[in-house]
Amino acid sequence: MRQTLLQLPTKHSGWAFHASRLAQIASARRSFASEASPSPEIYDVVVVGGGPVGLTLAASLGAARTTSHLKVALIEGMDLTPTRNWNPKPDYFANRIVSLIPSTVRLLKEIGAWKHIRQDRVQSYDGMQVWDGMSGARVEFDWNKLWGGKDEQTDTTIAHMVENVHLSHGLLKAIGDLPIQPTMIDKTKVERIEYGQMTGQVDMRDWPVVTLSTGQQLAARLLIGADGGNSPVRTFAGIESRGWDYDRHSMVATFRIEDDSAFPKFAYQRFLPSGPVAILPLPGNYANLAWSTTPEKVAHLKSLAPEDFVAMVNAAFRLSYTDIDYLHNLKSGVADETKWRESVTKYPDPPQIPVRITEVLDGTRASFPLKMKHADKYIAERIALVGDAAHTIHPMAGQGLNSGIGDVYSLVKSLTEGIRHGQDIGSSFTLEPFQSERYLPNNALLGFVDKLHTLYGFESGPLVPLRSLGVEIINRDWFGLKRFLMSQAAKS
Amino acid sequence: MRLQFLLRRARARARAPSSLNNAYARTIRIPPSQNARCISTSTFQNKPDARNQPTPGTHGAVDPDELSHFNALASTWWDAQGPSRLLHLMNPIRIDFTQHCLAMNGAPAAPDGLRVLDVGCGGGIFSESIARLPTTAHVVGLDPSEEILTVARAHAKKDPTLTGKLTYINSTIDDYRVEQQVDLLTLFEVVEHVPYPAAFLQSCMRHVRPGGWIVLSTIARTGSSWFTTKFVAEDLLRIVPRGTHDWYKYINEAEMRAFFEKQAGWGAQGMLSMGCLYVPGFGWKAVKGSEHIGNYFFGVRRDL
Repeated sequence: MRQTLLQLPTKHSGWAFHASRLAQIASARRSFASEASPSPEIYDVVVVGGGPVGLTLAASLGAARTTSHLKVALIEGMDLTPTRNWNPKPDYFANRIVSLIPSTVRLLKEIGAWKHIRQDRVQSYDGMQVWDGMSGARVEFDWNKLWGGKDEQTDTTIAHMVENVHLSHGLLKAIGDLPIQPTMIDKTKVERIEYGQMTGQVDMRDWPVVTLSTGQQLAARLLIGADGGNSPVRTFAGIESRGWDYDRHSMVATFRIEDDSAFPKFAYQRFLPSGPVAILPLPGNYANLAWSTTPEKVAHLKSLAPEDFVAMVNAAFRLSYTDIDYLHNLKSGVADETKWRESVTKYPDPPQIPVRITEVLDGTRASFPLKMKHADKYIAERIALVGDAAHTIHPMAGQGLNSGIGDVYSLVKSLTEGIRHGQDIGSSFTLEPFQSERYLPNNALLGFVDKLHTLYGFESGPLVPLRSLGVEIINRDWFGLKRFLMSQAAKS
Repeated sequence: MRLQFLLRRARARARAPSSLNNAYARTIRIPPSQNARCISTSTFQNKPDARNQPTPGTHGAVDPDELSHFNALASTWWDAQGPSRLLHLMNPIRIDFTQHCLAMNGAPAAPDGLRVLDVGCGGGIFSESIARLPTTAHVVGLDPSEEILTVARAHAKKDPTLTGKLTYINSTIDDYRVEQQVDLLTLFEVVEHVPYPAAFLQSCMRHVRPGGWIVLSTIARTGSSWFTTKFVAEDLLRIVPRGTHDWYKYINEAEMRAFFEKQAGWGAQGMLSMGCLYVPGFGWKAVKGSEHIGNYFFGVRRDL
């Protein structure tokens, strides 16, 4: 399926696409300067948003042969310099981390970003422990426990955990390596977007023109919204985005943990009725928390003293939901309270549950609201949406960024085809394949994760044993279901 | 992949000794007399006869009914969901086939950049896209309808890269008197709208330099092409307005091949065809053998 992006053009035709006559753009620009306002500078692609998805797009456009001649600008509100110069302390991991599935890593390798990722700060894992907080029904995704185990050929990595800032750093480095540099405009907000004007030579009435807070204007043959859930580009395009707030926030933090070198590195997720709580592995004795729960409970978690917060998180993987619910009422003394409750509760040992966390790193407690949103469409004339601007997903499956990067791959492929066939890269005929390739898979993923959220929201009732039965069937690998799921996850 | 395979087959056929080509053509060629039984006008008329004299003031190569029909289409030509949508979707395969023809003889067809004459360019779907390719030096789009060219020019203004690279001229091929011959002359979905295709093609041939190509696409005159282009597209689904096609004017691939085989100095170094089908939901696909069923591409090289 996934052809090597960089080789697409050579594979299909003998025609070499040399640095193009698009340079003519630059000279054409002077000729239609209007008297009223300074004329906007013309770009082939203007990317709004310098998050990981926007950066991946800029790096991919520069790395793929057919698109490398395009004149690209990227606009980001924040300062990118600290990310570019990121130099981490060895005993600290940022709280925002992301799980990169193998296909995402393949793309990052192709575009030259992965070599800038410091492997000593990446934690891959090939096992997962997922269980039901009410019934205890459990799925273990562990290649070593499956019949036959793993062989040398199969890449059994489920995902690689990387800090967001680390990924962005690698992408910025890859962009810095490009022979033709995109114009990177940071610390600058998009003031407004409007359509261009008709002048003597050129009709830019369907070209989006982006005006920046500096007054600079950029006309975009293709305007890309990589600008997040509240995408201004999407609003400009008049594309509706539908969905709902989960009335849940995700609490994140980074911890130091007990020595876990005796166990394989696993990802752990326990489904509580208020939302899943997950511990994700980091290199050495570090781990990251992603706990989705109600805003009130998140506020409580943030208000606790560090030792009480640590006790609370340990309890979340050991105690019953009733106990955890009770602990949320305590303003202090959680550590003592959990001690005796855990002494009278039966819970599994590591590696079925995570080893105990010992300390929360200073300043790593943070939270953000959870939403499910899907844009009605990803494209309009001269506009495309990627990543969260197109779809916002519950983070429980760790698929948000991965599907955004899937969008980038597909979009660049569509642009490549368009350029090879002399199409205007802003035309809907160029963009349609991107939308038709991405919309349904994204919709299915969003729906699946949303259903999981609903399914595990029940504390009792008939769905609790039913969901547990389903989980048991998967876990016992009946019908080869588990092996299938795992090989799909590794391949995708 | 499939396209590559088909093109390879087509290339092999084109490179085969001409005797084989002739034998191949002979077996399926329908003699003109036989044609006359099923169609009202002989498909390949060289000269207008007395009954079909064009009305004064219009050009012999242009049917006034066709002209008014395409004028009516002008406003929706670039509408992505409009009646020309299928033509837009066909454009990438036009480019692929054209590129393949040009690449057939090894060395780049035109080292200084390709000069193209797109006859019957309409709103400029192909003219614009071939002009955007970095290997193209200049494109002239020719169309007898000023109204459509107004649309074409207005659309080309939306892309500054086309400035100076693409010129539209309101003319028939007969009246187009430019000495410089081109590397590529294209006739996409044109010959089926022309009253006297043989005379028309011969007018076109004058404009191609030795070693240059004529690349065209059209529709074979078969039961299935009547069903898809007349019944389904015009009557049933109304994808295109009624009267867009005149089935009796369609020319079969074998007839096209036979025509060019008779032209001195043409086709010895390259004559190939490729059938394609529209598959709803997937777009246009090259399908082996479908040149005898419906839409097909045809490329022929003027001998060096």
